[in-house]
Amino acid sequence: MIDVSGVELGYGAQVVLSDVSFRSGKGEFLGIVGPNGSGKTTLLKAIARLVAPLRGVVMINGQEIEVFSAIGLSRLVGLVPQASAPGFEYSVRDVVMMGRYPHIGMFGGETPADRDAVRKAMEVTGIAPLADRSVREISGGELQRVIIARALAQEPEILLLDEATAHLDLGHQVSILQMIRELSRRIAVIGVFHDLNHAAYFCDRIILLHDHRILAMGDPAGVLTEENIARAFGVRAMVRINPLSGRPVVSPVLHPSCEAGKDSHVHVVCGGGEGAGVLVALRDGGYRVTAGVLSLNDSDYLAAEALGIPCLTEPPFCPISERSRRDLEVWARDADAIVVTRGPWGTGNIENLRVLSALDAGAVVIMGVSSWDGRKWDYTGGDAEKILSSLKEKGARVAADIPAALGAVREITGETR
Amino acid sequence: MTWRRPGAILFLLACLLAASIVICTLVGPAGVPLFSLPGDNSGATILYGVRLPRVISAVLVGAGLAAAGVVMQGLFRNSMADPYLLGTSAGGALGAATAIVLLGGAFSMPLAFAGCTGAAFLVYGISRRAGRVPVEQLLLTGIAVSMFLSALLSFLMYVSGESLHQIFLWLMGGFWTASWQDAWTGLLVLPAAVPLLLLAREQDILSLGEEDALSLGVDIELLKKCLLVTSAFVTAVAVSIAGSIGFIGLITPHIMRLWVGPGHRILLPSSMMAGGIILVLSDTLARTAGNEVPVGVVTAFFGAPFFVFLLRRRYAS
Repeated sequence: MIDVSGVELGYGAQVVLSDVSFRSGKGEFLGIVGPNGSGKTTLLKAIARLVAPLRGVVMINGQEIEVFSAIGLSRLVGLVPQASAPGFEYSVRDVVMMGRYPHIGMFGGETPADRDAVRKAMEVTGIAPLADRSVREISGGELQRVIIARALAQEPEILLLDEATAHLDLGHQVSILQMIRELSRRIAVIGVFHDLNHAAYFCDRIILLHDHRILAMGDPAGVLTEENIARAFGVRAMVRINPLSGRPVVSPVLHPSCEAGKDSHVHVVCGGGEGAGVLVALRDGGYRVTAGVLSLNDSDYLAAEALGIPCLTEPPFCPISERSRRDLEVWARDADAIVVTRGPWGTGNIENLRVLSALDAGAVVIMGVSSWDGRKWDYTGGDAEKILSSLKEKGARVAADIPAALGAVREITGETR
Repeated sequence: MTWRRPGAILFLLACLLAASIVICTLVGPAGVPLFSLPGDNSGATILYGVRLPRVISAVLVGAGLAAAGVVMQGLFRNSMADPYLLGTSAGGALGAATAIVLLGGAFSMPLAFAGCTGAAFLVYGISRRAGRVPVEQLLLTGIAVSMFLSALLSFLMYVSGESLHQIFLWLMGGFWTASWQDAWTGLLVLPAAVPLLLLAREQDILSLGEEDALSLGVDIELLKKCLLVTSAFVTAVAVSIAGSIGFIGLITPHIMRLWVGPGHRILLPSSMMAGGIILVLSDTLARTAGNEVPVGVVTAFFGAPFFVFLLRRRYAS
């Protein structure tokens, strides 16, 4: 339905985008993402014929976009612009009714079908209760929904959204994008997104723009890779698959990368998500940090991986192998300090503690002992507690929280910031 | 606005307008009995030869200025816009002054009309880029052209000698010379208002912003051209009859928008009627209580403070 081929876009002499080609059609929700100024809005405007391409053509239903009359095009293409500021106090219903102009035309009158389309559009966007309010006295998010309703009332074959949900609260963002995704089974939808995770969650396909061209195009998982995000946005990111949707989730990694400022080596024995905070704090503190042994499906492992921390691992649900045990011994002996987070300890990872019991207890920091909050942490029938108690007796330090643990590590290594 | 009764408001305004016409025709320094004797010629002359054409001219000029005001405010998406933004006022004044200085006052009406429309087309022509006329460009060009034409006018006044007083009177605006010819000319406002009314829906959509209007299927460049030509024509008719009377085109749409809402289908006819009522009342006040002060003095005297009031109200919200 939409065929963009070899399009170059710009304003005056400045080229914003070049060599853009893609197709989309009914049944697809296509997302456009990219850094500020990468030409997302300009591309959308070219499809809406608000900007003429410097080169290349935009075709709709097999015809060049230039051949359509203004009203003919508006029956095919609906646009939700980034910002809309009504000049006068029209009622919400009046503004949504303006979306029917393509069907009413110059000298026509409103028909029951028009009123019906307006009512439906206001209902699905949740603005029906505001119908008689002035568009100048409602909130920004409400206005954005009015403009979305206006585009829906237009009943276009192609719906273009320019960050259409940017000003909405989470509930409305999700409900409206959900509704638009359902709508995209019957029409073509192209949306510019700032929020990569919304794009990943709702779009069938994503175009990533960078450096005046298309950097990547394809399914969300293929486009939103850590490499592509680093290239386009200049940000280290962690990309994980949301287990509920199967779609990628992007989170920026804000911690200083890899460069360890200190010589001291700190090994962290952790698991069950208890270690991530300590790993981040030690890494930020500039220590050379290692971790393990951890199961590959442990969130502490994911944290260590995202931070670039070397880690001893075992496959999911497997006990610690003899080989890992030996590696841990080597790493732990090399470490200047060893931090043990609170459990949970079970038969799968008790081996970690057994290895430590043979080492110098003076280098060990045990966390969380004073605040177990009644949570069960020892699933070994008391073995883990026995080992930890004996370590404490032999002089292991105890730290109630992360700052205390950092303090203890500093004491042991004798290094100050 | 569905919750108001547009039909009732229009009917009420029509009644008020009719009443204003009757009352203003009857009011005046020379007391004319309501039912003068058939043979009483002087009374009839004053009523039909002097007051009625003056009243009708004032109503039509008021209606025209208000219509042009509505159109300009919608086009510029700004309720502070007025019909003279396109340089029409300065152009008309220059045309009239030229007629007064060079032709001894003959043809001042057609020359004022030519000056008005000429200025508007000049502004439009300068603002046009590759078939498009951005409204900001129009606004700024209008200011520049107005200043330029005003400079020419000042020069003309400087060298005008004895006709200075005549130019001065024209500039203040008024209806004291209004004749049936003026009233007939004023009727041109009515057919010109027809396309404006037919384009009511498009004007509503245009006031959302140009890109929005374009994506909703409105041919905005054609629409702007229609609106500019029509409002320049209407303004030129008004200016050539009565000079540049201020504030009618600014205040009337503003008041009516508060009353009937922004929808042009109702705003336009109601503003036209209200503009007629306001101007005919102002003129009657000017010629009776004001001892024939120019009506522009009356509209400015009441209009300017009211405008400040509206500005402050808008600023407060």
